[in-house]
Amino acid sequence: MSNIKIACSLFSFGTPYIQGHMSLEDCIRKAAEIGCEGYEIVAAQMIASYPYVTDEVAGEFARYSDKYGIKPICYAANMDRGLLKGRDLTDDEMLSRAINDIKSAHRLGCGVMRQQYLIGPEAMVRLAPYAEEYGVRVGIEIHNPETPTSPKIMEYREAFDKCGSQYLGFITDFGCFSTKPNKPYWDRALANGAQPEMLDMLAQMRYDEVPQEEATERLLKAGANSAVLGAVASSYGFVQFRREADLEGLKSIIPQNFEFHAKCHYVSEDLEEASIPYDEVLSTIVDSNFDGYVVVEYEDEGGYDSVEMTRRCVAMIKKILNNK
Amino acid sequence: MAFAMKFNMVDVIVSDSLENCYVNGKRVGFQFDIRLDYYRGQFLSVIEELEVTVNGEKIDTESIRFRLHDKEFGVCQLETCCNEFWRVTEPATIFVRKGGGLPEGEHDIELRLMFRSPYMAIGPNKYMPVDNCGTKKLRVKF
Repeated sequence: MSNIKIACSLFSFGTPYIQGHMSLEDCIRKAAEIGCEGYEIVAAQMIASYPYVTDEVAGEFARYSDKYGIKPICYAANMDRGLLKGRDLTDDEMLSRAINDIKSAHRLGCGVMRQQYLIGPEAMVRLAPYAEEYGVRVGIEIHNPETPTSPKIMEYREAFDKCGSQYLGFITDFGCFSTKPNKPYWDRALANGAQPEMLDMLAQMRYDEVPQEEATERLLKAGANSAVLGAVASSYGFVQFRREADLEGLKSIIPQNFEFHAKCHYVSEDLEEASIPYDEVLSTIVDSNFDGYVVVEYEDEGGYDSVEMTRRCVAMIKKILNNK
Repeated sequence: MAFAMKFNMVDVIVSDSLENCYVNGKRVGFQFDIRLDYYRGQFLSVIEELEVTVNGEKIDTESIRFRLHDKEFGVCQLETCCNEFWRVTEPATIFVRKGGGLPEGEHDIELRLMFRSPYMAIGPNKYMPVDNCGTKKLRVKF
């Protein structure tokens, strides 16, 4: 039986936070107000003493969490492999950074840490003893265009299986299961003068798995303008979509999945996400043994009200779960 | 020009921040504040280009100093500042050495700041360029 709890990433409030309309306290309070049990912190965004967590900062997070009855559940790390000019960080250097992140996650009381795939499977396996020592489960984020079964992710799955540590796993982002064009990107293309029939043609080619180069060629031949070509790049990049969500892939990753990122770019008033089939995805998770958080992550691409979008996404998930 | 991401989340050049600077009673230059226009903070070592143009006149690199956390760096030092973290909500200060500073009134300030997003790999040792440039007309304070 599954046990699904709802959280949100404070990243969802990134735009108002950066523009000075919401403080850290406001973000944590809002997360609680919209019905979340927990929150995720994008460390490089909201930790004042980054890349370390000072006593003062840890105290601040703890104070707000107590005050609003919510808890930090995930520390989202970045892997800055390109930190230095002229060369990539080595495995040793990436491992050192990740060890520090584990300590920070632990200091804040987070039981899960999000890691990015620039740190390879071998270095991740070397991280396992530290993850175990501090009690922090480290999950590689599976983000569109990757999927739970794409070759890059399969390398981690094999390495983690071989290693056997319960502290290495994944954080799957629902964006991987998109079945429709991404609304903000599509709207932007239209606002920039993209021909609607060309966007339809692009969507169809995406569904038919036409390779990007060929799709571009066909569109050019048909007279597509530069706004359409801009949409090609995103449709074959971070906001890909397919005819059907890979629910088998989702099922297969659940035993190694520590939390989910409930990605949203736009949720309508009647609680539908524009491109991700939430009902199917959540049904699959409900029917599994998943025990953990579904973490709402509103990605501000369309300039919508961040708080309202995050609130709607939480409400949408609750509504779907209540109907199961 | 090659593709670069642009966020447009905040004004890069902070309003009302331009002021003349004095040393031993003499005006020796001016300074203004800048913001990172991105969703997270960055280590200074990811800065790839930093140029300042004032009223159409490009400032020579040696006269530009980057100030953060009560520390000051020359432009050529930034690439080794891999432990100096610039928060996303925290303005940094650009100091420009220019004898006499700026005359009273408004001035066109132009900043060219390009950095690489160090986790968005687009090839071996190649990372997504981010456009953190900005322009603003500011009245100088004395």
